[in-house]
Amino acid sequence: MGLNGVPILTLITWAPFAGAVLIMFTARHHPLAVRLIAAVATGISLLLSVVVYVAYDADAAGFQFYEKVALVPLLGISYEIGADGISLVLVLLTAIIIFSGVFASWTVATRSQEFYALLLTLVTGVFGVFVSLDLFLFFLFYELAVLPMYLLIGIWGTSAQIRPRGIFGWAIRETGVGSKEYAAMKLTLYLLLGSAFILVGILALYMAAGGSSFSFLEMEGAAFDPVVQRWVFLLFYGGFGVLAGIWPLHTWSPDGHSSAPTAVSMLHAGVLMKLGAYGIVRLGMGLLPEGTHDWVALIGTIATINIIYGALSAMAQTDLKYVIAYSSVSHMGIVLLGAATLTEAGLNGSVFQMFAHGIMTGLFFALVGLVYEKAHSREIFRMGGFGRMMPGIATAFTVGGLSSLGLPATAGFVAEFLTFLGAWRSTHSWWLFPAVAGTFLTAVYVLRVVKQIFWGPAPLHGEFHDLPDAKGPEWVALVLLMFVIVLFGMVPGLAIGPIDTATLPLLTRLGAWP
Amino acid sequence: MSGLALEIGLALLMLGVFAVGTVSHGDDRRLAGLLSAVGVLALTVGSFFLEPSPGGGRDAFVLDGLALFAKQLFLLATFIGILGSLSLPDPAFRRRAPEYYLLLLASLLGMLTLASARELILLFVAFELMSIPLYVLSGFLKREAEAVEAALKFFLVGTVSSAILAYGLSFVYAATGTTALAGVPPALEAGDPLLVLGLLLVLGGFGFKIAAFPFHMWVPDTYEAASTPFVAWLSVAPKAAGFVAIFRVYLEGVGDRVVLWVPILAGLAAITIVAGNLMALPQQNAKRLLAYSGIAHIGYMLVGLAAVSASGTAMILFYLVAYVFGNMGAFLVVETVAQAEGSVHLDALRGLAQRSPLLALAMLLSLLSLGGIPFVAGFWAKLYVFWAAAQAGLYWLVLLGAVLTVVALFYYLIVAKRMYIEAPQRPGRIAVSPPLALAILICILGVVGLGVYPTPLVELTIRVANGLF
Repeated sequence: MGLNGVPILTLITWAPFAGAVLIMFTARHHPLAVRLIAAVATGISLLLSVVVYVAYDADAAGFQFYEKVALVPLLGISYEIGADGISLVLVLLTAIIIFSGVFASWTVATRSQEFYALLLTLVTGVFGVFVSLDLFLFFLFYELAVLPMYLLIGIWGTSAQIRPRGIFGWAIRETGVGSKEYAAMKLTLYLLLGSAFILVGILALYMAAGGSSFSFLEMEGAAFDPVVQRWVFLLFYGGFGVLAGIWPLHTWSPDGHSSAPTAVSMLHAGVLMKLGAYGIVRLGMGLLPEGTHDWVALIGTIATINIIYGALSAMAQTDLKYVIAYSSVSHMGIVLLGAATLTEAGLNGSVFQMFAHGIMTGLFFALVGLVYEKAHSREIFRMGGFGRMMPGIATAFTVGGLSSLGLPATAGFVAEFLTFLGAWRSTHSWWLFPAVAGTFLTAVYVLRVVKQIFWGPAPLHGEFHDLPDAKGPEWVALVLLMFVIVLFGMVPGLAIGPIDTATLPLLTRLGAWP
Repeated sequence: MSGLALEIGLALLMLGVFAVGTVSHGDDRRLAGLLSAVGVLALTVGSFFLEPSPGGGRDAFVLDGLALFAKQLFLLATFIGILGSLSLPDPAFRRRAPEYYLLLLASLLGMLTLASARELILLFVAFELMSIPLYVLSGFLKREAEAVEAALKFFLVGTVSSAILAYGLSFVYAATGTTALAGVPPALEAGDPLLVLGLLLVLGGFGFKIAAFPFHMWVPDTYEAASTPFVAWLSVAPKAAGFVAIFRVYLEGVGDRVVLWVPILAGLAAITIVAGNLMALPQQNAKRLLAYSGIAHIGYMLVGLAAVSASGTAMILFYLVAYVFGNMGAFLVVETVAQAEGSVHLDALRGLAQRSPLLALAMLLSLLSLGGIPFVAGFWAKLYVFWAAAQAGLYWLVLLGAVLTVVALFYYLIVAKRMYIEAPQRPGRIAVSPPLALAILICILGVVGLGVYPTPLVELTIRVANGLF
């Protein structure tokens, strides 16, 4: 149980929630105390995630730090958690992102107590999903991770500044596209629609496995009927795919991520979208090997559409936050492409990309938040020459950008290289071409933004003078995230080691290894 | 005679209320309401000391597990409803309080009898005893044109449904040759078409009472015009009674032939869910919104019924309890706000979170429960109903229901948006009268308690339902 008898995964999962409760009940009207509690609670999670990461026994592989307590014996629901290589990497990612998210949103002014309480509750849900080994528990945590989002975006979000014009202008005004309320509602409904499919899928598996237990490990042993596998896999792919941002169910993502407050964008684009991909890999591919083979061609093809479509859309944006949001859609395509290759390199690349993209998109959203806070603008072509005024932010943005386009020595390179290798070795080698074309397009839009805002000349009659650089607690987020990008780019083995111990058994079950 | 203890106790209570009504004078005669509340509470507590007994096969009146469970539910809902009614601001509710509470109790007596009835005539009489006071109560403010219209509409639809019910029951009698419900299963086994036709007509009659689509037309108008605490009660108790009657007629002892009902009930469930949720979407009046959402909830309960199994029945009972707490909680918060703002429009709820955080939280929890969100009662209710339907292999219905919960969440979230995101129309806390606050508190405790720890109730409902099959 746990690590040397300590229920360490429980501590990681519930520390933020304990922080949230503490914030609601003790820190009323003390903004600094609220932030300190949040920083300490997420700091504990981060510290313990590093501990489990180091303590993970790669030779033994499988699920470790296992805990189990029966919750509803009647239906076979239990609090059953554990972590393998994939979960560990994602738990670490979550911990890093939320810890830096707390610092990146240090300046939230209105109702900050409720903001941090909701944010920390949400994080408990995210951790919970990554460590759950009970499908029902998984679903509960999943809902917990989705629901607070509505209030977080609706109350603390910002509406887009750009109002679409043209023949759709009227319809757009009527529906309120671009406003934070619209984005919050759209995001919540899309994700809840996804969760409805997931719930039905979970119930179907539960019944097919005999209707006595929701345990993942027990279901892994059950051989499901091929017809069940085919349709349940599709339910999972559709349900989790919404959260993973698969085309054409991705449209909540740009709106939602652009309207959300900084920490929420970081967490949502950085971690929650991975939660969707994780669900497809863990529940879909892990439990339904034959179903996977039925649909893998579709998944890979849609993933290539994601890559190209997301990148082209990002190129067309004039709002900085929308560029980043669409780049997430594009990068999530790489994650799913890697998974769909069913090769060791591809699957490792997929999980590595979840991590790498999580970190770099977290960094991007933190930076966009900082830029907006100082310049009060997200319009790319109004800004310029910021490199002189805020060299720190400019450097961090460039590092993130280079990782995004896959420059060697950054984490993004490792992920993309492995995925491409996997794509080439897979049965659908043609996937390689759109994927590589996607990185080229990524380079175009990333470099364009970096040049325009930071390193190019300031526009004549520019309205921005003497903007300050990042300061104080904000540096914590930037430095931590940049450090992780470079560290995992230089020493990819740090992540590939544990990931590989989890992907090989998965591929064995899928009949794709050795 | 212990089988009739609750009915006798209630009759005595009604006599007491009647006596108070005759001796008290003046403009404030709410003593009758207080007496009713205390009496119903005493009966509720007393009901937990009663022991269910299965009763003989042809008994007309039984106090089995289902009857007792249903009676406790009716009593609890009535207690909450009376508490909510005590502080109604309109002077008519003070001056004519004995009338109001006497009618409420009369209807309750009908429900209590209905829960035990296993005989066609008793069933019909109990049904009418339950229904007729409801017509009067919905037109209680007899000087308001809207209330009269609503009452008339309700009355006309209600009597037509009663007529259809009686017509159907006559067919059932013709086919079985007995007024005992125990005569139905053997006749069904014989496959008598007259019986099937009769039972379909009966289902139509019940359909009006539980407000399943397309028998729902009276619901929104009646809800809008009648007083809110009464509507809160009307939206749960008679519907629960309707379901109990359906269990008695269609499921009890029918055995394998129950599968006959699956296509009809599944179809009714599907169309009710879809129609209720879609019609709720454009509503801007909180009571109409809850009226249509209530129709959708009936649809979800019908999903459990379509499973025609012990687990399906058990899960409807669980759903009913969750629905009592969630729906009454939401209606009573609307009433509280309406007493302060004079409006049941959704705009009256704007910025409630900043004005009265606890009231807003109560509303949010009720809505989340109605929407089926984890950690509150409604989630387990929906989940268990889906579970039962999945057991019966009705995956298409489960998928449809699950997808339409998202539509439901849209209109519940719109309300949440008014309360939490928009700014208040005017500042200041909203005053809550103590009995109303107590009623809301009971609902919220129920919603959260069942959400966190549903197991004991689930086990109880499964025990109760197993007695039917």
